[in-house]
Amino acid sequence: MRYIARYGLAFVLLLGVWWLASWILFLVHERQVLPTPWMTFQVGAQNIRLLATAFGNSAWRFLLSLCIAFSIGLPLGLVVGFQRKLYEYFSPLVHLTYPIPPVALLMFLYLAFGIGETVKVLVVVVALFFQVLVAAQGAARQIPQSYITSVRSAGANTWQLYRHVVFPATLPSVFTAARVSVGLGITMVYIAENELGLVAGPESGLGRLIDHFAFRPDLAMAGVVGLALLGLTFYSGLDLLDRWLCRWRHLEGHGEG
Amino acid sequence: MIEVESLSLAYGRGRREIMTLDDISFSVEEGELVSLVGPSGCGKSTLLFALDGLIKPTTGHIRIDGEEVHGIRRDVALILQDAGLLPWKTVRDNAELGLRIQGLKDDATQTLATLGLEGFESRYPGELSEGMKRRVGIARALALHPRVLLMDEPMANLDSLTREKIQNLMLKQWKERGFTGVLVTHDIEEAVLLGQRVLVFSPRPAVLSEVLANPEAGMAEYRGSEKFSERVRYLRDKLQEEEE
Repeated sequence: MRYIARYGLAFVLLLGVWWLASWILFLVHERQVLPTPWMTFQVGAQNIRLLATAFGNSAWRFLLSLCIAFSIGLPLGLVVGFQRKLYEYFSPLVHLTYPIPPVALLMFLYLAFGIGETVKVLVVVVALFFQVLVAAQGAARQIPQSYITSVRSAGANTWQLYRHVVFPATLPSVFTAARVSVGLGITMVYIAENELGLVAGPESGLGRLIDHFAFRPDLAMAGVVGLALLGLTFYSGLDLLDRWLCRWRHLEGHGEG
Repeated sequence: MIEVESLSLAYGRGRREIMTLDDISFSVEEGELVSLVGPSGCGKSTLLFALDGLIKPTTGHIRIDGEEVHGIRRDVALILQDAGLLPWKTVRDNAELGLRIQGLKDDATQTLATLGLEGFESRYPGELSEGMKRRVGIARALALHPRVLLMDEPMANLDSLTREKIQNLMLKQWKERGFTGVLVTHDIEEAVLLGQRVLVFSPRPAVLSEVLANPEAGMAEYRGSEKFSERVRYLRDKLQEEEE
């Protein structure tokens, strides 16, 4: 309940700042540069069907990318981080490729895969993949030795070691990385839709919608609100998942000797 | 039961090799509990890991029941320093970890109850006091019904009251279950209280410098007796001498 109240407060505050900004800009330029929240929500309500479709498409694209990036990046990162020998060989490769912004390769991806759905998802996957990989790798290197010894001493094989120690021990850091990468992921969704969706209509995604309505600032602004909500949806989704899967981290209190 | 023959343990390689144990030989009888004391860093814990099959001897042999130890044995259990509990598993899941890994159907209900952990099965280690955590660590080892129990400072860093409680608990379990025990400790009183023999190690590279017979260990009222204080005093002097 308090959680929702805090978000409500932030929302009101943000609206205030937004309204203030559009008012100041109006005074300076003597015309409406930034639509006010009221204008935006009004036009948003009128076009709710279009916005919802675009939101749904972007959300689906992001979810799919997140799942693909995790299902490849997580196991790979854990194995590389945990097996020291592998880390020595693999980490230079990661550190060389990690800083390359996937956007820089957009042209080649476009030529290789066309402008269909594949390439849009691919760009987002590449960006998220590295976030997940680096986080998982780092977390796997920090596992306390006593956890490993306690399962090895019970006779655990490699798979059991991963199942009982490596995976659960790194899960909290992986969730943190996932939450942090929501911002990056949404930026990538925006860019991918924008740059690679020229023939698609505004309903194909929020990024496309914002670009399409470049001359309808109120509608474009409604799209921006949609992006914020998209981020919030994924952020809180991951937060809830974290609270459930890593509930042992959110406990307090001590028993008696 | 346990035979250690000219055992040497080293870690690191080449020029950076550090010898921790140098040509150690001793044996532990079936059902006997021995204590290992020595200066910190002398390789007592390393020896325990070798007995558990977690690390290979550099030279020499370790035999349990006449069989050379190559890796983990199901009849040997290890209690780790600070219990080594997995914070994401409940008390029950931690206690049953060994059972699950070995694919056994047993549960730890009975063991948890005898260690006074009934009612805490679904708690997480983060919710427990330090003393309770140690008991869960002990439960995890005992749930496997080991014939050999290796203990790496299971009572270290506890307040004296809790430590005494767990020492008594350990003695009771040993009497009831009759396992063969090897206890590594840096607490001299604990070594004398629990070990029917106390093996004293020298600083690194450690050799076995003394074996003190202590047959009264585990008997009622031993803690308060004159003989107990005498042996503690003797060992304290002996260890101080070695450190110099």
